[in-house]
Amino acid sequence: MTQVTLENVSKSFNETTVISDFNLEIDNKEFVVLVGPSGCGKTTTLRMIAGLEQVSGGAIRFGDRDVTALRPGKRNCAMVFQNYALYPHMTVAQNITYGMRVRGASEDEIKQALANAARTLDLEPYLDRLPKKLSGGQRQRVAIGRALVRQPDVYLFDEPLSNLDAKLRIEMRVEIRDLHQRLETTIVYVTHDQVEAMTMADRVVVMNEGRIEQAADPITLYRQPANLFVAGFIGAPSMNFLPGKISGGTFTGDDGCSFPVPAARLGASGDLPQVVCGVRPEHVLADGASPAKVKQKIKVVEPLGPHTLQVGMVGKVQFTAQVPASRHANPDEEVELALDVDELHFFDATSGKSLAPKKS
Amino acid sequence: MNIGSVKQFGPTARGLVLGGVMGWAFLTLFPFYWTFVTSFKNLRIIVKGPTYFPFIDFQPSAHGWVELFTGVRGEMFKNLANSTMVGVSAALVATLFGTMAAYALTRYRFRVPLAAGLAFAIIAIGGYVGLTELGMKRFEAISLAFAVGLAVSVVLGNIKLPGPLLGNEDIVFWFISQRMFPPIVSAFALFLLYSEFGKAGFKMTDTYLGLTLCYIAFSLPIVVWLMRDFFEALPPEIEEAAIVDDVPVWRIFVQIVLPMVMPGLAATFMITLAFVWNEYLFALFLTNTTWQTLPILVASQISQRGDEWWALSTAALTAIVPMMLVVWLLGKLMRSGLMLGSIK
Repeated sequence: MTQVTLENVSKSFNETTVISDFNLEIDNKEFVVLVGPSGCGKTTTLRMIAGLEQVSGGAIRFGDRDVTALRPGKRNCAMVFQNYALYPHMTVAQNITYGMRVRGASEDEIKQALANAARTLDLEPYLDRLPKKLSGGQRQRVAIGRALVRQPDVYLFDEPLSNLDAKLRIEMRVEIRDLHQRLETTIVYVTHDQVEAMTMADRVVVMNEGRIEQAADPITLYRQPANLFVAGFIGAPSMNFLPGKISGGTFTGDDGCSFPVPAARLGASGDLPQVVCGVRPEHVLADGASPAKVKQKIKVVEPLGPHTLQVGMVGKVQFTAQVPASRHANPDEEVELALDVDELHFFDATSGKSLAPKKS
Repeated sequence: MNIGSVKQFGPTARGLVLGGVMGWAFLTLFPFYWTFVTSFKNLRIIVKGPTYFPFIDFQPSAHGWVELFTGVRGEMFKNLANSTMVGVSAALVATLFGTMAAYALTRYRFRVPLAAGLAFAIIAIGGYVGLTELGMKRFEAISLAFAVGLAVSVVLGNIKLPGPLLGNEDIVFWFISQRMFPPIVSAFALFLLYSEFGKAGFKMTDTYLGLTLCYIAFSLPIVVWLMRDFFEALPPEIEEAAIVDDVPVWRIFVQIVLPMVMPGLAATFMITLAFVWNEYLFALFLTNTTWQTLPILVASQISQRGDEWWALSTAALTAIVPMMLVVWLLGKLMRSGLMLGSIK
């Protein structure tokens, strides 16, 4: 069953079109993450689902209900904001139950819902505190608690972890993910952090300039990016791009490297004068046994512990390679890197589209 | 280092800062002290030249205060009661309506065709002139012209008209613009308007309603202007969270927004009350005996029997002390920090 449907949705502010012809179907109980650089329209999309922004065209449906013209309160969704947006003059308990009281729930129901939410979110000791007496993580949990008692059809999260420090963010990531499994409800989650998107989502929707670049599960996004944008956006450190050409099944890079390309990576496309070869830093082989080799002039070496990153130049483009921690290279040194040919990605440089055949 | 503490400065700098602060404190506090001691002087002490310390320089006498409280020098208690009633009700109503207007102007987008405003001006002014020329009485003419003008502009405001659209900024400017010309301009106009009301049977001059309405009208621009700043400082997400939670707009305003702007509300109420409390010109024009306020009483002390400084001082203190009490009471509310913990 489809839970949330966005059909040909568009949005313009005055003369500026922010989102055009946006189509997305979100399944029941699915955890969908909208991710993209700032200004890509992901928050606007979320606010349109919530009803805080009116669509300029198209329709939004929750299940069979057309909610396009409904005001936010009637859509039965709950939203968690980046800055928590707690009511500063109410205690934690009041913050969580305020909406229920307004809607006229009975005292028993309220007590029960509050007890459940407090237990789920470990907020029991803090119920009588004001938000200013809480830490950032606790505040965010109160905001989630406020959403929980609503028992909404859809949860909407707008960059809820951006204001937390790195350690807390990882903890909350697990908590929200765990919450989703227990609640079994639909979640639409917006973030600009691709790691957050990859780790939490059932399905990631990569957005850019108001369009969907690719919507797929995290592994597909990583292994089969549909275009240069997704390839560069997903993965950390990001994919390296070597410009070059393909003729007769052989890639010749602008830096002078040349190697045959496995047919499975190219699909039906034949010779192309302008292609981009994408190499993830982690697909640089440690043992050097590969027909594909490039020469890197090292600029910076970043030892991370488990492995080391060599940042430098291949030809005229920047290239980051992940090498075993045991290898010690020095800046200004020139090294040869072997690439895993089965993990290479090829893109048409003019359209940006991947040359690999689409797997259904 | 002691950043943020006075210790980060050298002894010379500290001395200068202390000197400056003390000087300023003296400058603001001395007039108050001077008024206070003068209220205990009599003619004999005053003509001898300046004296500063009671019991040392001069023997204080309470006759100024006795005269004030026994009503020899005008009905102080009546004027105090008038000032309190008019001041508090005008400040309350102006703060209430001004705050609502400011909130609407911050959170909602208004688009009014300029033509609708022009239509109002033309119909109201032109209608009044035309109708009086035709022989209608002034009061009837102005009421009719105003009612028709308002109705027409409301209708026009809701349909698409050619010409420029006025937005929120223009509406705010319109509010503020009412305080740009000197009050004496509107004092005359208001007096004439009130007289016409009186001739038609509604007594407005020297009434509670007349004076209060006038003060409300003149306080509204300040309230709108001040409160808009406070509302603009609020993060919209808090209200949006409530909107998503299906909380009706008026409950969001009363139960969520107002508590968050309580310091601003207190400050605005204070400023409005102080304005009405100290206002002299309108009170002079629009009242004569029944609804005279404290500033009129204070000013009248000069003329009646020559310069009787002790009488002037007691009246001035009577006007000042209630305001100080209000500042002290509302000061606690004005402290900010209410927003802490709500966002990031």
